Amino acid sequence: MRSVDREDGPVKVTGAATYAADHHPDGLAYGYLLTSTVARGTILAMDTAQAEKAPGVIAIYTPFHPLELRPYAKEENGELTPPIQNTDVRYYGQAIGLVVAETFEQARDAAALVSTRCDAERPRASFTDGLPSAVGTSVVDVLADGVSSIDEALDAGDVTVTATYTTPAETHVAMEPHATVAFWTGDQVTVHTATQGVRLVVDRLSETLAMDPARFRVINPYVGGGFGNKWDMWPHTPLTVAAARALGRPVKTVLTREQVFTVVGHRPLTAQTVSLSAARDGTLVAVKNDGVSSKSASNGFHEQPANLSLALYGSANLHVSRKAVTLDVPATTIMRAPGESNGSFALESALDELAGELGMDPVDLRRKNDTPVHPATGLPWSSKHLAECYTVGAERFGWSRRSPRPGTVTDGDWLVGLGMATATYGAGRGQASINVRLRDDGRAVVSGTAADLGTGQSTVFAVLAADRLGIPVGRVVPELGDSATPPAANAGGSGSTSTNGPAVQLAADAAKEALVKLATEHEKSPFHGQEVTFSAGEVRSGGDGMPFGELLTSLGVAAVEATATSPRNPVRDHAFRSFGAHFCEVRVNRWTGEPRVTRWSCVVDAGTIVNATTARSQIVGGVVMGIGQALLEDLRIEPETGRFGNATMADYLVPINADIPPIDVEFLNYPDTLLSDLGARGIGELGNVGAAAAVANAVHNATGKRIRDLPITLDKLL
Amino acid sequence: MDLSSQRQAVDGQVEVAFKVNGTAERLRVDPRTTLLDALRERLQLTGTKKGCDRGQCGACTVHVDGRRVLSCLTLVAMVEGREVTTIEGLAEDDQLHPVQRAFIECDGFQCGFCTPGQIMSAVAVLREGHATTDAQIREAMSGNICRCGAYPAIVEAVKQARS
Repeated sequence: MRSVDREDGPVKVTGAATYAADHHPDGLAYGYLLTSTVARGTILAMDTAQAEKAPGVIAIYTPFHPLELRPYAKEENGELTPPIQNTDVRYYGQAIGLVVAETFEQARDAAALVSTRCDAERPRASFTDGLPSAVGTSVVDVLADGVSSIDEALDAGDVTVTATYTTPAETHVAMEPHATVAFWTGDQVTVHTATQGVRLVVDRLSETLAMDPARFRVINPYVGGGFGNKWDMWPHTPLTVAAARALGRPVKTVLTREQVFTVVGHRPLTAQTVSLSAARDGTLVAVKNDGVSSKSASNGFHEQPANLSLALYGSANLHVSRKAVTLDVPATTIMRAPGESNGSFALESALDELAGELGMDPVDLRRKNDTPVHPATGLPWSSKHLAECYTVGAERFGWSRRSPRPGTVTDGDWLVGLGMATATYGAGRGQASINVRLRDDGRAVVSGTAADLGTGQSTVFAVLAADRLGIPVGRVVPELGDSATPPAANAGGSGSTSTNGPAVQLAADAAKEALVKLATEHEKSPFHGQEVTFSAGEVRSGGDGMPFGELLTSLGVAAVEATATSPRNPVRDHAFRSFGAHFCEVRVNRWTGEPRVTRWSCVVDAGTIVNATTARSQIVGGVVMGIGQALLEDLRIEPETGRFGNATMADYLVPINADIPPIDVEFLNYPDTLLSDLGARGIGELGNVGAAAAVANAVHNATGKRIRDLPITLDKLL
Repeated sequence: MDLSSQRQAVDGQVEVAFKVNGTAERLRVDPRTTLLDALRERLQLTGTKKGCDRGQCGACTVHVDGRRVLSCLTLVAMVEGREVTTIEGLAEDDQLHPVQRAFIECDGFQCGFCTPGQIMSAVAVLREGHATTDAQIREAMSGNICRCGAYPAIVEAVKQARS
């Protein structure tokens, strides 16, 4: 495995990396969003007279003085309705206007001078209250021959456990608040905006502004975290682009942190009722998961947490259902491992409960039900080494020291418990195009519309191109996040490296071919008419070699380039997933109930690891977010008002440095050659899946208390 | 409550002179301007990041007269006559500061957005002598949130820079 320092490290540690809000075109004006202070109703009037007279104010756009925007053609995990086109209020904190002024301070001050009158209705804001009337008919049943229902199958097992697991709304809290800077040159617009894919923004803007996509250039090479929250394009972006056009000058709008909590979507609440039935030896005979998710009245996305129960453990009988409860809350959207993060909390907690009932070790129970085929489809897994993850992880972590009897290990004032869970996430390979340009300065530029949210994607590009070209990694210049480059994969669904990686390799090969062609056909080339090869960054013939930069310089050619497209995965007779195993130690204070995670090991089976340095950070980051999910994160919806009651970074708790122990990560690194020659699957979500359950299982082992409602706060342990 | 009758938009400007990364600066600014916004929007020193604008995340950490402060909770008018150091002023003659090098070598970040604040905090924490144990480093660095979850590597980076 290669371990390469992040190629963008130097610009990120010196402050030179330019994120969306760092752009400052001449003549810049500042936008500031107005947001609703009721959760449901109709805006009757907005008094902007005082704000219009305030110093520096240039324009105020509201539903009564809108910028024209058209509805989006399809949902991208966000809203179809662009902002301020009508007077509907669908949630608290909805964008209902934009103030533009000469300075940020003036825009903010003027925004506070706008008063809004609403005809407010009582919002639907309680998930719990809505559960009995959850809607949805989507059911999957996989039943063995002769079995007529999942409940019949459940009855046939020797041991059955049934419980309901609930998870709160969560939110991404990427460190970079969403920002858009737009400036027009004639009928062309350049947009710097924080996004997981510049192509997504081009598509969205061309729909809502009814303009040819070719007129948009979206540039965003550095993204301050995404986690799903920068997949869709949110209301500030079209407002800013349209305002810049209307005013004939550049506009920058940066969401305040409080606005980030409501304007750009959150992870829905879920409830899952899981039943597992097993034979005395631990063999699962039936798995049933009825899953419900909250859903915003503003959009369609909701999680399907039960789905994971179809894909992880072998069982002759499987059942999942998916329902949703509609609430008058901000958009529900994708967040790291959508569905599977919450799905694994329920399923992996239930496995632990079943292990307890059976008197089996939780690892042995999982081994018993490990399966070489997809449990629901029967397709063989392309490459699965989950059993080895368990073995290696148990060894590295010291799992054998776990007491099977909960609440029996203490260390001073602390109850100590060990827990584990399986990690998994779906894998795939889409289509991607990449350009590789070999320059006369000896550097290779690799470009495509891909995004690096901190994932290490740009370094992966550098490593793959360098290896293919036989040059040092430092001589590759990755250029990501520019819509003017070939269409590569957006950052989402753990698909960037599996999709873009093979395209980088193909494009490097094509660039080599283009260079060889030039070397043999250019009249002034020292290799003219000869048989040549390309290796280690040099064109070679016989014993003579010349670095490509030198050759290009001698020919007066600035660069040769080639674009290649890697197709989507054509394999239909196998199933693809990444796997892993989490092991953790939790200490619970016997007097205060405070839970602390104190050790962690994670073993990962995700195919080829292109760069162990950045891959490790991806897994660690997923685990850290999982620890937050387990112990801290809880976006509180006030049932009376529909308002998020803790929409600040001081009140919505995410892990801080003091919350996190050293995290041991081990990669098995078996290439998945059925997915691609590169053999890389995905790791972005994997570390997050199962992490919360591992903590919950360790809490149970420490205390004997089974907490089925996240987060596991100390009040639940007293 | 309608606040509009009690408020009046401020039109006046204040003048403030201070040093940033060794360079003397003189600005006429809206008195509401924070040090953070002055750095970013007036001086185009955009390495310092606005993560929350409420003193809750640490992304905007800079040094004022050598002490770490949250530039989002500091009005620029308050730094009259003071010396401000930002992430752009840490490297000397293109030589990265040891903490910057350690963050790269330990992969102490992912997206990089909190990184300038993390590094400015780490430099001060080391100078203050608040980094003698892992637990102490974790505690002292807990004012800087990293949502990518690079904390273990940040601790390693601080230790590496210490030695």
